[in-house]
Amino acid sequence: MGVSLVKVYKANCNGLFLENMVNENLVKDVVKEPYKYGFVTDIETEKISKGLNEDIVRLISQKKEEPKYLLDFRLKAFKKWQKMDEPDWAGLGYKQIDYQDIIYYSAPKQKEKISSLDEVDPKLLETFDKLGIPLTEQKKLTNVAVDAVFDSVSIATTFREELAKHGVIFCSISEAVKNHSDLIEKYLGTVVPASDNYFAALNSAVFSDGSFVYIPKGVTCPMDLSSYFRINSGDTGQFERTLIIAEESSSVSYLEGCTAPMFDTNTLHAAVVELIALDDASIKYSTVQNWYAGDEEGVGGIFNFVTKRGKCLGKRSKISWSQVETGSSITWKYPSCLLLGEESVGEFYSVALTNNLQQADTGTKMIHIGPKTKSTIVSKGISAGNSINSYRGLVKMGRKAAGSRNYSQCDSMLIGDQASANTFPYIKSQQPNSEIEHEASTCRISEDQLFYLQSRGIEFEEAVSMMVSGFCRDVFNQLPMEFASEADKLLALKLEGSVG
Amino acid sequence: MQSQMKESDPILKIENLFASTDNLTILKGVSLTVYPGEIHAIMGRNGCGKSTLSKIIAGHPSYNITNGDIKFSGENINSLEPEERSQSGIFLGFQYPIEIPGVSNLEFLRVSTNARRKYLKKEELDTFDFEELVKEKLELVKMDHAFLSRSVNQGFSGGEKKRNEILQMALLEPKIAILDETDSGLDIDALRIVASGIKKISNAQTGIILITHYQRLLDEIEPDYVHVMADGQIIKTGGSDLALELEKKGYEWTDNFVKET
Amino acid sequence: MEIIEKIKTNKLTDKQTEIQKICLHKLQSSPLPNPKSELWRLSNKSKFSNFLNYSVNEKHPKSDIPFPENSQNTIRLIIGETCQIKLIKENYSIQQLSENELNKYIKEQIACFDQNENWSDLLNLSLSSTKNFVGLKINGSKIPPIEIFSHASTNSFNAKTLIIFLEKNCDIELLQVNLGKENSSLSQSTFFLLKENSSVNHGVVSYGENRSNLLNSLNVIQQNNSEYNLGALHFKFNYARFEISIKQSAGNAKTNIKGMQLTKKDEQISTYTKIDFNGPNGFLDQINKSLADDKSHAIFEGSIIVPKIAQKTDASQLSRNLLLSNLAQIDTKPQLEIIADDVKCKHGATISQLNEEELFYMRTRGITLPEASKLQLSSYFKEIISFIPVTKDRWDLLDKLLNAN
Repeated sequence: MGVSLVKVYKANCNGLFLENMVNENLVKDVVKEPYKYGFVTDIETEKISKGLNEDIVRLISQKKEEPKYLLDFRLKAFKKWQKMDEPDWAGLGYKQIDYQDIIYYSAPKQKEKISSLDEVDPKLLETFDKLGIPLTEQKKLTNVAVDAVFDSVSIATTFREELAKHGVIFCSISEAVKNHSDLIEKYLGTVVPASDNYFAALNSAVFSDGSFVYIPKGVTCPMDLSSYFRINSGDTGQFERTLIIAEESSSVSYLEGCTAPMFDTNTLHAAVVELIALDDASIKYSTVQNWYAGDEEGVGGIFNFVTKRGKCLGKRSKISWSQVETGSSITWKYPSCLLLGEESVGEFYSVALTNNLQQADTGTKMIHIGPKTKSTIVSKGISAGNSINSYRGLVKMGRKAAGSRNYSQCDSMLIGDQASANTFPYIKSQQPNSEIEHEASTCRISEDQLFYLQSRGIEFEEAVSMMVSGFCRDVFNQLPMEFASEADKLLALKLEGSVG
Repeated sequence: MQSQMKESDPILKIENLFASTDNLTILKGVSLTVYPGEIHAIMGRNGCGKSTLSKIIAGHPSYNITNGDIKFSGENINSLEPEERSQSGIFLGFQYPIEIPGVSNLEFLRVSTNARRKYLKKEELDTFDFEELVKEKLELVKMDHAFLSRSVNQGFSGGEKKRNEILQMALLEPKIAILDETDSGLDIDALRIVASGIKKISNAQTGIILITHYQRLLDEIEPDYVHVMADGQIIKTGGSDLALELEKKGYEWTDNFVKET
Repeated sequence: MEIIEKIKTNKLTDKQTEIQKICLHKLQSSPLPNPKSELWRLSNKSKFSNFLNYSVNEKHPKSDIPFPENSQNTIRLIIGETCQIKLIKENYSIQQLSENELNKYIKEQIACFDQNENWSDLLNLSLSSTKNFVGLKINGSKIPPIEIFSHASTNSFNAKTLIIFLEKNCDIELLQVNLGKENSSLSQSTFFLLKENSSVNHGVVSYGENRSNLLNSLNVIQQNNSEYNLGALHFKFNYARFEISIKQSAGNAKTNIKGMQLTKKDEQISTYTKIDFNGPNGFLDQINKSLADDKSHAIFEGSIIVPKIAQKTDASQLSRNLLLSNLAQIDTKPQLEIIADDVKCKHGATISQLNEEELFYMRTRGITLPEASKLQLSSYFKEIISFIPVTKDRWDLLDKLLNAN
C-alpha cells in the first residue's frame, strides 16, 4: 500500500489535476481535531514572581545552587538580551510579548531531595501516565530512557543506573551542573553563544532545566534517550536547555516530545539545544512537537521560539535532526549543523503541519566549513486552514569546504484555498569545488487520487490521511521506530475529524 | 605467455600499477603488456578494478598512481593530460558515455578528430570535408546522419551511445582502444553492429582491450588473451578458453585462485 | 554620493517635469534604500556609493553602436538621440505616447510603488529628463524587429526611461541594449504594458566597459492572454543590478524568462525578479544562470507570489550557477510564496563548477581542457542567447562573452 501511495503522490506532483470531485469543505473538516493533551494537572507549585530583571536571574541561579561561572554566564546573557531587539524578519505576525508578564521559574512543590521515584508526587506520575509516558518502574517504557520535565524542572529520569554501567550520563541539566560541572563549563554556550539571537540570549539568562547527555568515547548508547517536556502553568515561560556531547566514535539517538494544556493566553517556550559530535561520533535528534496550538480562532497556544544547533567538530562526525512539528501557535525554529570536521555529515528531515491560524517558520542552516562535508535537507510542509507554513533555510559553502555537497528538497502541500506555503532558501557558495542542489515543489492532494482511493473502498478521511502520510514518508523513514508510528498517528489525528 | 619474445615493441606496458582515489587503494599491482594486433579481454566482478584501470590509462584526474608505470609506445605517460593521451592514440570507450547537453555531436566529433589529426601532422578538416569523412564512418556503425545534429549523447538510447563511442573510435583511429563494457546494455543486433565496427577499425597495428563481464562479446571478437581481475589485481591469465571456462563455472570459481606469480 | 546630496538639497535641474517633482519628493523623505532589506542586503556598499558618485549628464554622447545595422527591416531607436518617432505604415504604427497618456500611466505606477522595492525607479524617474524619456505606443501587425539603445557617457551619471504600450493583438520582437562606458553609471527603467492578446519577444543585453555601473529596472504588466518572453544578458559591469517585476494583472498570461549574468574580476552583478500572479491560469517558466569567475560576486533572488486568486497557476523557476574560482562567490535565493491551493509551483537551484565528467570525456577525445571548458560554457550560454531576439548578432555576442575579461 505504502509503495503505491508514494507512486500516486509522484504522479500528483507531475501535475495530474482533474476537476474538483470532492467538496472543498470536506477537506477542511478533516483537518479539525481536538487537542488531546489539553488537561491541567492540579498541583501545588512554587513560583517566583512575574517579571524579569537582574534579581530574578540571580534568584533562579540561587534556587538551583549554581556555581559562580554559571551565574556570570546568565548575567552576561541577560545584559546582552536587554540590548537586543526582538526579531521581526521571519514575517511572523504575533501580539507583542510582554516579558514582564511571564513567570520565569515554576516547579511542582515536592520534598527537597528525591531519592527514588516513589517520592515523586503521584499526581505528576499520573500526568505523565496520561501523556503516554509512564515513569514508574513497573510501567516504564522499555528500550527508552526518559527524562520528564514538568514546567521548569526535571521530575525523573528512568534507566539511569543501567546507562551508568555504560558510562553514559543522562540526567537533568541542573544535576549535571552539580555533578559534572567540568563538562558544563567546557561546553555550555559553545554551539549557541548567548548572544546568538534574542531568544537564545533570553534562554541563556533564565534557563531552568533540561536534559544533559554525555556519551563516552567508543560507546554506542544502549537505548534511545528521551526527554518529555510538559508545560502545565499558564503564565510560566518554559526555557529549557539541552546539551548533548558525543565523544569520539560514540553514538546516540535522542527523542524529544512536548505537550501543554489549553490556555487562552500564549505561553512562551524558548529553548536552546546544543549538540557536539567529536571524531566519528553520531547524534540523531528527533522531535515530535505537539504543544497546544491555540483554538480555531487562534486564541491561546504556545509561542515556540527555539534555537537548536549541532556542531560536527570531529572528522566524519554526523548530526541528524528529524522533526515532526504539529503543535504551537507560532513555531520559529531552525535546527542547524555547523560542519567543521572533515567529511562530517549534517541532516535535516522535517514534517511541519499547520492548521487554523498556526504559523510555522522552520528550516535549517547547513554551514559547510570543513572539506568534504555533506548535508541533506528534506522538508515537507503541510498547510491547512488559514495557516502559514514557511520553509526557511540556509546552505553555505565556505572557502575551505572543497569537495562538499548539499542536497535539499522542500515540498509543500496545501489543503484548502486559505492556507499559505512559502519557501525561502538562501544559498551561498564560495567554493567552486562543491555542489549545492535545491529543489522545491508545491502540490495539493489531487482529487483524482482521492477518487481513486475512494473507488477502492477507502474512506475519505482515511484516504486524505494516507495521502499526507505518503507525502511525509521520506521523513518518517528517518524517525526512530517508536516515533515513526507516533508521528503517523499524530498526523492522522490532526487530520481526523467529523466527516459527514 | 606474456613473456614470449615478440617481433615488435609493445604498444602498452603496464608494470606493477598501484592506484587510489579518496585514499582508497583500488589497483594493487596490475601488470599488462599489449603488442600490436593483440586483443586482450579483462574480466572480473563489479568492483574488481577493471573500470578503474581503464580510466587510469585514459588519465582520469580523480585517480592517483601511487606506484608503477604505464608506458605507451615506450614512453611513460603517467604525467600526461587526458587530451594528450587521446591525441597520441589512446582511446577509451566509456561504459557510461557522458551526456553533454548543448554541445553538438558533430562539432564535438570534428574538434576531437582534428585534435588527433593535428598530432599526427595531418591536415585539419573543415566542416565540409569532415562531413564527408563522418558519413563514411557512420556506415560502420549503421548510424543515422541525424545523430550528428543532436547534443553529445543526450537522449541517446544505450545502444546509440555505444555506437557513438565506436564512431569516435573510427574517427580517431587509435593505436590502442580500451573498450569498457561496450557490450553492456546492447541487444544482440546492436552487439553485432558494434563488434563488426570494432573489427573493421582494428588492424595489425592496433591493440584492443575489451573489458567485459560476459562471454557474448568474446563470441564476436575472439581475444588472444583473457585476464581475470579480482581485488585490484590480475589473478589469472589464459587464452580465449579461459573466458569459456569462466562462463561455465562462474566467478566463484576464481575465488579459489591464488595470484599467479 | 553626489547624486543623493543633490536630491536631498533639490539641486538637480531647474526644469523639472511633474513626474520628476513627484519622485524627487518621495526620495527626499528617504533617499536611500534600506541596506538590510532582502533586495539590498548583499549589495556591495562601496560599489553602490560609487554608482551614485557621478554627476548627471544631460549631454548625449556620440553614439558608437557596436551592432551593425541589421537591414532596412529593423527599426532602430537611440534614447536621448532620436526625438520624434512617428511611423505610420500600412500594417502598423509606432508613435510617441502623448504627454497625458504618459503622465497618467506613470502616476498610476508610482502610486503602487514601494519606497524600497521601487527605489531604482524612483531614482530613475527623478533624474530622467524629457529628452531621455521615451514613450511608445505600438499597434498593428507584421512589425519589423525593433532595437532600442541606451548609452552611458564616460564620467557621468545617465538616466533613461522607456515606456512601451503594446496594443491589443500586437506581436513584436524588441531588443533593448544598454551600453556602459568607462567610469559611468547608467540608470535604465523600462515600463512595459502588454495589452490583451499581445505578445513580445524581448531581449535585454547589457554590457559595459571598465568600471561601468548599471541599474536596470524592468516593470512589465501583462493583461489577459498576453505572452511575454524575455531573454536577458548582463556582463562586464563593475556593479550592475537588474530588477525585474512582472505582474500578470488578471492571470491568464504566459511569461518565459531566460536570464544570465557573467561576472569576472571583482565585479558584482545581481538579478532580482518578482513575479506576481494576480489572477488564475498564469504560467511562468524561468531560468536564471550565473557564472562567477575571479573575485567576482553573482547574485540571484527570485520570488514568485501566488495569491489565493491565482488558482491553476503553473510556475517554475530554476537558478543554475557556475562558480569558477576559489575567490568568487554566488548567492541565490529562489523563493515561493503561495496561498492558492490548486497550483503547480516548483523551483530549483544548483551551484557547482563545470561538470568534471563531461570535461574528462571530451579530454579523452583529444580536446584540450581550455577548449573543452569553452565548449561547455558556450552550451551553457547558448540556451539563454538563443532566446534573445534579433538573431543576427547572437553568435558575435557569444564570442564576446567567451572572450570577455
